[in-house]
Amino acid sequence: MISSTIGIWNYWIVFCLMMIGLFLVIGRKNFLKKIVGLTIFQTSVFLLYITFGKIKGGTPPILNESFESIYSNPLPHVLILTAIVVGVATTALGLSLVLKINTEYGSIEEDDISAQDLVDYHDDIKTGKSVDLKFKQ
Amino acid sequence: MISELLINAFLVTIMLSIAIALIKTRTVIFTVILTSAYSLVAALMFITLDAVDVAFTEASVGAGISTILFLAAMAYLPKKEEESISSEFVPALSCIILGGILIWCSYDLPEIGQFTAPIHQHIAPEYIKGSKEDIGIPNIVTSVLASYRGYDTFGETIVVFTAGVAVLALLQKKDPAKKNKSQPKQKIRKNA
Repeated sequence: MISSTIGIWNYWIVFCLMMIGLFLVIGRKNFLKKIVGLTIFQTSVFLLYITFGKIKGGTPPILNESFESIYSNPLPHVLILTAIVVGVATTALGLSLVLKINTEYGSIEEDDISAQDLVDYHDDIKTGKSVDLKFKQ
Repeated sequence: MISELLINAFLVTIMLSIAIALIKTRTVIFTVILTSAYSLVAALMFITLDAVDVAFTEASVGAGISTILFLAAMAYLPKKEEESISSEFVPALSCIILGGILIWCSYDLPEIGQFTAPIHQHIAPEYIKGSKEDIGIPNIVTSVLASYRGYDTFGETIVVFTAGVAVLALLQKKDPAKKNKSQPKQKIRKNA
């Protein structure tokens, strides 16, 4: 009983971590927090993949004749190595977008930004300027 | 064997508590430091799960470089996170429902570390067997990354390059000298 619970305990916690990351992305209005949530989500997906690759009593997949044992599955490791580097690239891109938004609007809170957009929109209507298409939906 | 799983369960629970602290905190510096700690504990977990290459990549890139990026961005951003006006009930509820479904599905997943799981049967044994003769490097992860799946790594390099170009394009400062030049011109036109 205990061993089977521990056998899937990792999965449960990893799913909880994923959901916390997702909540930070969709629930929080601060853009920096959203990017942190994305990082959390990513790292928990990495954990899930690496957990799949583990074999009981296995050694890291580095060939050595002195170990007469099985090697853990190297394929998820390769996938995740690629994903970590790409993840940092996306984080950098997201952070630079946030910096750009901060210089344009002076805020990185979603509520503030949409309020400012709304005010601009009504001003444009009053002055009869051409209205941005993005609000017409 | 069970001790290994216990260490795993302990580490993953630490990660959960860090993530919960991340939800609670509203100060940006705490957020950044907690994210870094999260990555470091993840790197520890990768070591216990036999993924040594992933562990040091996560420790250097995930915990190192991304923390530096966050700290660098933090310097230009507000230091406090504001309380949201709108309710967080709907996102929280949808996350809980989705998490519940995933946990329900986890009963169909193979137990951790079972050799009979499908993932260990399909193609991995061929890579482990062939690595020594085909490529001649003892580290299987390296041989798969750089040789068997070399095109994927090439694609990854392109993605990173594109991201780098995009970051440079976004953060480019408009040249103040050019601005000063163009403004007087407009004034001249108005005067004329």
